[in-house]
Order: sequence, then C-alpha cells, then structure tokens
Amino acid sequence: MAVGYSRSISRKLTVMNMLVSAAALLLACAAFFAYDQITFRQSLVRTLSAQAQIIGANSISALIFNDPQSATNTLSALKSFPNIASAGIITSDQRPFAQYSRDAGDEVLNIPAPPDGRLEAYWFRATHLVLVHSIVFQGKTLGFVYLRADLHELDQRLKRYAAIAFVVLLLSLLAALIVSALFRRSVAEPIVQLAEVARAVSQDNNYSVRAAPTAAQDEIALLIDAFNNMLQQIQHRDNALQAAHDELEERVEERTRELVSSNRELEAFSYSVSHDLRGPLEVMNGFSYVLLKSYANQLDSSGKECLQSIRAAARRMSELIDDLLNLSRVTTSVMHREEIDLSSYARAIMEELCRTAPERNVEFVAPMQVKAYADARLVQIVMQNLLENAWKYTSHHDRARIEFGFEDKDGRMICFVKDDGSGFDPRSTDRLFQPFNRLHTSAEFPGNGIGLATVRRIIQRHGGEVWAEGAVEKGATFHFILEPNRGT
Amino acid sequence: MGRDLGARAISRYLVFLLFLSLFGAQTSHTQQTHPTESQVKAAYLYNFGKFVTWTGTNAGSSASFDICVLGKDPFGVVLDSTVAGGNIGEKRVTAKKISSLQESDHCRIVFISSSEQARLKAILAAAKAGGTLTVSDIPHFADKGGMIEFVPQENRIRFEVNLPATEEAGLTLSSELLKVATRVIGKTGN
Repeated sequence: MAVGYSRSISRKLTVMNMLVSAAALLLACAAFFAYDQITFRQSLVRTLSAQAQIIGANSISALIFNDPQSATNTLSALKSFPNIASAGIITSDQRPFAQYSRDAGDEVLNIPAPPDGRLEAYWFRATHLVLVHSIVFQGKTLGFVYLRADLHELDQRLKRYAAIAFVVLLLSLLAALIVSALFRRSVAEPIVQLAEVARAVSQDNNYSVRAAPTAAQDEIALLIDAFNNMLQQIQHRDNALQAAHDELEERVEERTRELVSSNRELEAFSYSVSHDLRGPLEVMNGFSYVLLKSYANQLDSSGKECLQSIRAAARRMSELIDDLLNLSRVTTSVMHREEIDLSSYARAIMEELCRTAPERNVEFVAPMQVKAYADARLVQIVMQNLLENAWKYTSHHDRARIEFGFEDKDGRMICFVKDDGSGFDPRSTDRLFQPFNRLHTSAEFPGNGIGLATVRRIIQRHGGEVWAEGAVEKGATFHFILEPNRGT
Repeated sequence: MGRDLGARAISRYLVFLLFLSLFGAQTSHTQQTHPTESQVKAAYLYNFGKFVTWTGTNAGSSASFDICVLGKDPFGVVLDSTVAGGNIGEKRVTAKKISSLQESDHCRIVFISSSEQARLKAILAAAKAGGTLTVSDIPHFADKGGMIEFVPQENRIRFEVNLPATEEAGLTLSSELLKVATRVIGKTGN
C-alpha cells in the first residue's frame, strides 16, 4: 500500500514535468512555425514581386514591338528558379503574349484577373501563390506579368519542423525524466517516508516513531516538523491518559477488593446469624412440642393456646430465617446461564399451587414456549415468587385469572406475570421491592417481605430490569427482563 | 414623389449602362481587328524614339520631337493620329512631311519613302551628319548603310538594325531595342 503511494507521487511528478515541458515546447514550436510561415510567405511574395518586375522591365520592348519570342526568351530565364511553376505575359487587352512552364505537361493558362488599378496583386491558393505585376512604360500599361510559385516548399518546411519538433520533444521528455528522477529525491522521498511513518502510527498505534527531518527549508520540512510535533503531543496525552487509566483501574480494583471482603464478612455474618438463630429456635420448637404432647393434660385450654402461639411464632421465625438464607445464597451463588423454557416452569409451579388448594377457581394462561437464556435455579426462584404472589393476592376472590406471557419490545423480551387480585396502591410501587417492606398486614396476606426483594436481586444479577404496575382491587402486573440491555 | 424620382434616376442610369456597353463592345471590336501595316509602322516609328539616345547633335535645340517622312508619304493621316498627344522625354512628338533633309534639320527620326531610293546615298550622308535616325522599308536598306529597316516576316512587321551606322551618327540604341530586332548588323560577337 505504501509502495503504491510512493509510486503514485513520483509518477505524478514525472508526468507533470513531462507534460509541462511538452506543452511549453509544442507552444513554442507552434508560435515559431506560425512566425516562420508568415515571414516565409512575405519573403516569397517579395521575391516573386522582384522577379516579376525584372521580367516586366525586360519585356517592354518585346511588347512594344510585338515580339513574343523575345518575351519568351526573357521568361525562360525563370528556369533557374525551380519554385516557379509557370509564368506568362499578357497584353493590356488580356491577350496571352508569352508563356513559360517549368514542367512540360503543366497547365499554363490560368490567367488571373490583373490588378484593378494597382501595380501588383497576389493570391495564395491551396498549392500555389499567384502574383500579377503590371508592365508600365512611360506611364502606359503595356501588359501584365504573372508568376505562379509552388507552395510545396512550405509543406516541406512544415514536415522538417515537425521532424525537428518531434526529436526535440523526445529529448526534452528524456531530460524531464532525468530531472524528475533527481527531484524525486528531494520532493517525493520525504513525503513517502512521512506517509510510511503515518501508516506505522495509524496501524500500530505506535506514537514513539518520528519522521526523519530533511535538510531543505521547504513546506515538506514544515510538514514533517508539524507532524513530529503532533506525534509528540499525542504521545504525551496518550501517556497521561494511560497513567490516569491505570490509576483509576488500580483504585477500582482496590475498592472492589474492599467491597468483596466487606461483603463476604457481611454475608458470613448474616449466614452465621441466621444459622445460629436456628439452633435455639429448634430447641424452642422441640421442647414446646414435648410440652404439648406430654403435658397437655396438665395445661388448661388457655395455656394450650399460648403454647400454640409460641409454636406458630417459632415456625414463622424459622421460615424467615430460611428466606434470609435464600436471599443470601442468591447474592453469593455462582451464575450459570443456559437456555430454559420459562413456560414449563410456570406450569409446574401452578400445578403444584392448584394441588395445595383444589377448591379454588383459578384460570391459568401461559403460551407454550418462552425461551430464555438465564440461570435455571435462580429463574425458578423468580417464577416461584411471582406466581405464589399472584396466587396469594387473588385468594380473596371467588374467581381469579393468572397469566404468564411475554412481549417483544425493541428486540428485548419482556416477560410478565399478571393477576386480577387485590393489587396495590400505585404510589407505593417503590417500596414493593425493598426487603421486609409489606403493603399488606400478615393478617390480610401472610408473608415476610423477602420475596420481591429476592426477585429484584436475581433480575439485577442477570443485568435485567423488573417493575410493577397495579391498582387497588384491579390486579397487579410484574414485568421483568432477563437479558442485559446491550443498547445502553 | 421621392420614389418616382428614384425610379427615374435608376432608369436613366440603366440607359446609360446600355449605351456604355454598346460603346464598349464597339471599341473592343475595333481592337480585335488587326492593325494595318502602315498603322504598325507608324507606331514603330513613334516607339523607336523611346529606345534611342541622341547625343551631341542639333536635335536638342528643337522644341518638339519631329518624326519626318521623306518623299512620297505612305501613311496619310495614320502617323499624325499615332503621334497625336504623344511625348518623348519632355518634348511633344510631331509628324512632318519633307521633300529633303535640308528642309528641316530638326528631324530626330526620318522615314525614307521608297520613292527616294535613287537619292539614298546622299540622304543617308545628310542624316548621318545631322544625327538623324533613318528608317525605311526599302529592301536591303540596312545593308546599304541605313539604320533601321522594316522587314515583313510571317505576316508581321519586324526590323533589322545597322549598329555601326547608328554609332557613326552619334546615336545610342537601347539593348532592349536590339533584343527584339530580327538582325543586328555589326553586333559584337555576332
């Protein structure tokens, strides 16, 4: 590629040199030839005029004493002028008087009209110059001499000039070639080198190279200096940018390390707390069970109720701990994306829910295949939470409809779980996904407020989004996107 | 009105053109006819004067350039009409009829009629003394000491020149004249 560039610029220089010299030469030749043609014609007319005058003067007595032979003799002197094709003398009343023809077969008589009142006249024809000169003796016009000269000498001159011009053109083109070869060193080569450096810079992003400076003080030297300056500035900025980048990266790494360690500590803490809480809870659960079974007859009904309440609270606390452990697992577990069918998950979960309460009248709608590329275990948790919510918040209605589906928006698949249950106050949408934040009392709907927080955590780990729409007693719709947004 | 005038002017001009063309045809017709022998000879007599130089003679004193006809005149009015209005050098050309050279010593050119053949010797001697160019159509005139002799040749009038005779009379003949002569007696290298 760089070779192609170098060829092109030196070739352009050579062609330019040659064209300029050829054009100058041709113009000069044309001008010179035109000048020569004009002067040659003028001198031809002058020569012919002089010859006509001499012949005219020598033919006066022949005309006066009517001696054509003498006039013919005079005309025959024209033999020594090979360019004169024919000549003749005509009397004042335009009778042919004497004739001369260089070549025997040449047509002689094509007498042009004599000059009207003038002493002399001439006409340039395609191949001839015709000149007519009046023979005047003592104020009286005795007759006219006409001379016809070949112009083929003009053609010969033209040919000679063309040949000379051609040879000179060849020589000057050769000279232009040599000169441009010399100039190439001082003009083309620095540019070629500069181009080579520029290519190296743009291809290899190597800003440390520099174009070799030239000794000349011309625009190319200026260009090379400016280019080198530019490279230096770029190198400076590149270095500064790289330093800033490195520093930033280092800081990010440091922060990440800190975050990871504190996160780990926190998780370890919450895990151990949850785990350690479970031990005393199991003790409470076990001994309350023993109390209920073995000492039931020693307790009155109110005591039994108290015991039942303690057991229910312990069970709820156990569930809470399970959920907390789940949430913590969701945050820490390793993600593994694979192709899954969301629809089959939804059906399985709904079947299970229907089995737990076969008396409920719930219509479930879902399309056959909803393919997604996500972590199967985590998505299972998302579907479980959303469908259980829908199931739960429609439980106060006699008839219910739960729909799982998806729609395509700008190439991203948006899944949704929609119910026609008790819904929620749209002003509280922000609080929906916060852990332990509940819009309903446990008396209305049981739950601990971890589910949607877990859903959001999973969706966020997938790089997606989740949001809710709804109104009181108008049902709720939960939308989620599992794929990360590549557009922004 | 103006249009009428214009039309009249044009028609008058056309008539004039017609007249001119008729007249022109007339003149060109007369030019086409061959001149008579005496017309040619008269013209030659007149033109000889243009090619001859007279030196040291009495001729210079005369106010006019006289062309004389000696003896019986064969020209009539032809010579008079030929020289009419003509000039040679500064002098007006006149034609004269004379009976002897002694009658007038101003003659530059004398045409000797064939009627004077008997007195030729005396006439030539007188002409030589007076520096007069002698011209005649008497046969062998040039051989007999005359200067220019008219010779008929191929239906044309030519002339012969006796160069020593002219030189003896102090006349110089132009080489142009000698060039068109049929014969030049005494020409160097001839």
